[in-house]
Amino acid sequence: MNTLLRWFSAFVWRWLDKLDLPLLGGLLAIMGISLIVQASVGGELEAVLKQGVRFAVGLMALVALSRLSPSTLRQWTPLTYVGSLALVGLVFVFGSGRSADLWLDLGLFHLQPSELLKLSVPMMLAWFLHQATLPPRWLTLGLSAAIIGLPVGLIILQPDLGTGLLVAASGVFVVFLAGVAWWRIGVFAGLGLAALPIGWQFLMPYQKDRILTFLNPESDPLGAGWNIIQSKIAIGSGGLSGKGWGQGTQARLDFLPEHTTDFVFSVYAEEFGWLGVLLLLGLYFFVAARSLWLATQARDTFGRLLAGALALTFSVYVIVNAGMVAGFLPVVGVPMPLLSYGGTSAVSLLAGFGMVMAAGAHRRTWGG
Amino acid sequence: MKSWRIKPVRNPTAETEQFRRRVVLAGLGVAAALLVLALGYGHLQILQHAEYATRSEENRIRLEPVIPARGLIFDRNGVLLADNAPAYRLDIVIERVEDLPSLIAELRQRVAISEEELQRFENARKSTRRFQPVPLKLKLDEQEIARLAVDRHRFSGVEVRPYLKRRYPFGELTAHIIGYVGRVDQDDVEAMAARGESRFASLPHIGKTGLERYYESRLRGDVGYQEVETNVENRSLRVLRRHDAQPGESLHLSIDIALQQAMVEAFAGQHGAAVAIDPATGEILGMVSLPSYDPNLFVSGISFVDYRRLGEDVARPLFNRNVLGGFPPGSTLKPFMALSGLRAGLITPESTVFSSGAFRLPNHEREYRDWRPGGHGTVNLLESLAQSVNTYYFELAMKLGIDRISADFERMGFGRPTGIDLRGEVGGVLPSREWKQRRFGQVWFPGETVIAGIGQGYWVVTPLQLAQGTALLADDGMLRRPHLVRSTQAGFGAPRVTLAQPQPLSVVDDPAHLAAVNAGLIATMHGPTGTARQAAAGAWYRMAGKTGTAQRVGRRGTERIDPALLPYHLRHQALFIGYAPVETPTIALAIVVEQGGSGAATAAPVARRIFDAWLGPAPATPPVTAVEDGR
Repeated sequence: MNTLLRWFSAFVWRWLDKLDLPLLGGLLAIMGISLIVQASVGGELEAVLKQGVRFAVGLMALVALSRLSPSTLRQWTPLTYVGSLALVGLVFVFGSGRSADLWLDLGLFHLQPSELLKLSVPMMLAWFLHQATLPPRWLTLGLSAAIIGLPVGLIILQPDLGTGLLVAASGVFVVFLAGVAWWRIGVFAGLGLAALPIGWQFLMPYQKDRILTFLNPESDPLGAGWNIIQSKIAIGSGGLSGKGWGQGTQARLDFLPEHTTDFVFSVYAEEFGWLGVLLLLGLYFFVAARSLWLATQARDTFGRLLAGALALTFSVYVIVNAGMVAGFLPVVGVPMPLLSYGGTSAVSLLAGFGMVMAAGAHRRTWGG
Repeated sequence: MKSWRIKPVRNPTAETEQFRRRVVLAGLGVAAALLVLALGYGHLQILQHAEYATRSEENRIRLEPVIPARGLIFDRNGVLLADNAPAYRLDIVIERVEDLPSLIAELRQRVAISEEELQRFENARKSTRRFQPVPLKLKLDEQEIARLAVDRHRFSGVEVRPYLKRRYPFGELTAHIIGYVGRVDQDDVEAMAARGESRFASLPHIGKTGLERYYESRLRGDVGYQEVETNVENRSLRVLRRHDAQPGESLHLSIDIALQQAMVEAFAGQHGAAVAIDPATGEILGMVSLPSYDPNLFVSGISFVDYRRLGEDVARPLFNRNVLGGFPPGSTLKPFMALSGLRAGLITPESTVFSSGAFRLPNHEREYRDWRPGGHGTVNLLESLAQSVNTYYFELAMKLGIDRISADFERMGFGRPTGIDLRGEVGGVLPSREWKQRRFGQVWFPGETVIAGIGQGYWVVTPLQLAQGTALLADDGMLRRPHLVRSTQAGFGAPRVTLAQPQPLSVVDDPAHLAAVNAGLIATMHGPTGTARQAAAGAWYRMAGKTGTAQRVGRRGTERIDPALLPYHLRHQALFIGYAPVETPTIALAIVVEQGGSGAATAAPVARRIFDAWLGPAPATPPVTAVEDGR
């Protein structure tokens, strides 16, 4: 009996010793809040349970990935990158669902190949920069741009501007953290600005509409403008401490189906007020900061670049979504990490954090 | 590691330091952004809290769709066939109702609400958002409105709203042309969502059949919206912003409603169908399918009782015989068969055939009969048409062979839908080897060619196909597409936009052939031996036509089908095709009378009455190229 217990605890410990408890704690707290909010929005126990199951799956992925050593992860990276690219290509050919929702049905949740890219692109870049000369120079930057550009191009063609920009951002973060010189950044920024008018032509009408609506919400009350107006009313009416759980006016936000998950933060703000907002933003910041710290603890370039980029991408999600629902940023269809209802996003996020923990756990034990 | 490659030595310490710097920088950036966000939220939630709380609780902003007026439908002379009449409906906004069952009970004390309406209300409620109105009753009369107004303050969540209701002043007369609109149901909503047209889900009507459906996207216009600020009782305080709706386009039909009326009267209570076409353009002047029904019943949702009555009526008033019905064309096919023969050079206007009353294929026993016992003697083309001699066409069909018949008739528009602007048109059956192989998995038998020659056997045509073919005979062999709508108009005073029609096809190569066939058709009406000369007697104008009788007989061997077991519209039918006046035809007709004896006795008189109505009384001076409509 004793040996059984010892074997069991050793087994558990083996699986869990690479986990970073503070980070895990923060993530669990956010997931808990998510389930609470989901219960007040949807009202259906089944939906909440489904989300819980997704979290469980995500946590399993997190634990599994945390155990991998970064060098193993690194070995598998090119294959993962090519594989996810191929999947996106497949969806192009066999795609089901509406344009921005190309997915493959896997029963419990829908696999969106573009979600995989959110992980595989920074991984590939980190892999590439791991063995390149740092800080990166033009050749390296050019190749990096290609590694980013190909998948992002495919995503934008779906068309899904929001996800495309985020995947691009995750790649850019890797390059930034690798120490690219500021003036080179300036050159790229300048090129980007110059390319803006050209890029504008390629936007779909509804995407142009969204940006125009953001600049002047009064111009499209029927579409995105209406959502923002209602969202602000919900947030503003929450006041200091909110209206309380389940007391929000969610019905007003239930207009455009693809945005019901994006506006969950408004619901939270309405129910729990500014104090709630501070708490949740604080938790998100804690998770991001802890991840960044873990990144600095990583043993090799690959590990720290990857972990850092994932942490920053996570932060961008939070900032963009919170800004979007309050009318500070244009509506781009970005969900709130872990808070919004949805499977692939939660699982890929938690998997990413697994990698962060892996990077931070396999520390530089022999200096250098 | 990678010592075989010469490259700059990496400095791990410097690299780590660099990385740390960047991380700190990024971390500060994130912190700053989150701080800004927190402050922004604070602004919304603390500084502007009062304003938003008010907007949320007391003052509401409601986004209302502005319903466009549905396009009107006119006949060719500007008579209104479909318009919109103001009506009032009773709506309930669920969100503002505390106790729905007791509210409904109270309402029923003041307004008559049937179980059906309640059921519809329950169904609609499930697919409507809580803060949007759900219609409970669509036809409030003035007394009911008054009773509701008196107690209005007690009924929170109840609204009496005006709307425009579709109305068909000519009712039954236009039902099979215009069709009707009905309420938007779940299937419609899903179809709209699939096309990205969800904003139309709030329309009171959607076209269900007929022209209302075919031209739905033109007739409905586009939805506008207005932002209305309301108080707790949902009284509008003011309109904040309004984007006007775009009214639907009006349709100008080629139909002449007076002719339509005359066509119905010409049938004198009998059932059947008739199509009148202007041969020069393919425009449909009148189209009837009898019996008909009142489309106004459907507009606000037809009651179960009424629908069952219509659906179970043996005479099938809801069935549009012109578009969906088919029958064997019988002898009305002979003019086209003659054209085919002339074209192939197998006959000439002078060539003759001897009719003994019975025809036999070589080495076969089966006899195919003429309608006159003893036969018609020696006849040429003209007489074969005037007297409707079967033997002539038995022989002709055998000479032509089924393949050539199939090909020629396909050119003349048979075997496929005419392309009229109504949905669901059937194409009938054009007998051919391929068709029979597909349908029955059998080869073609020679005997079937024989009866195909007189329009029996597998033949199925629609009144539209016959009318189209008749117009072809009347207008120099030009095949035109029959259509109902001449032009559209985007509101009063806007210019009319003529709808483009496909180019007419010329299907007759030699005008002499056409002249020969037409001579036979004229002889049918005015010649001493014509089958329909009685119907044409006494007219001031000259007409051309062909009679026919469609009979269903057992096909395999001697098996006969009991007529009483057949669908009503497939029993003996009297047929007639024709046009008038002969010199410059202004109307071409195809008529089928159900359960009506022979074509000559039953259908031809109907045609005569219609011609009379269209061409009017004899003019004082002989007509040169006069065209008078039937007013």
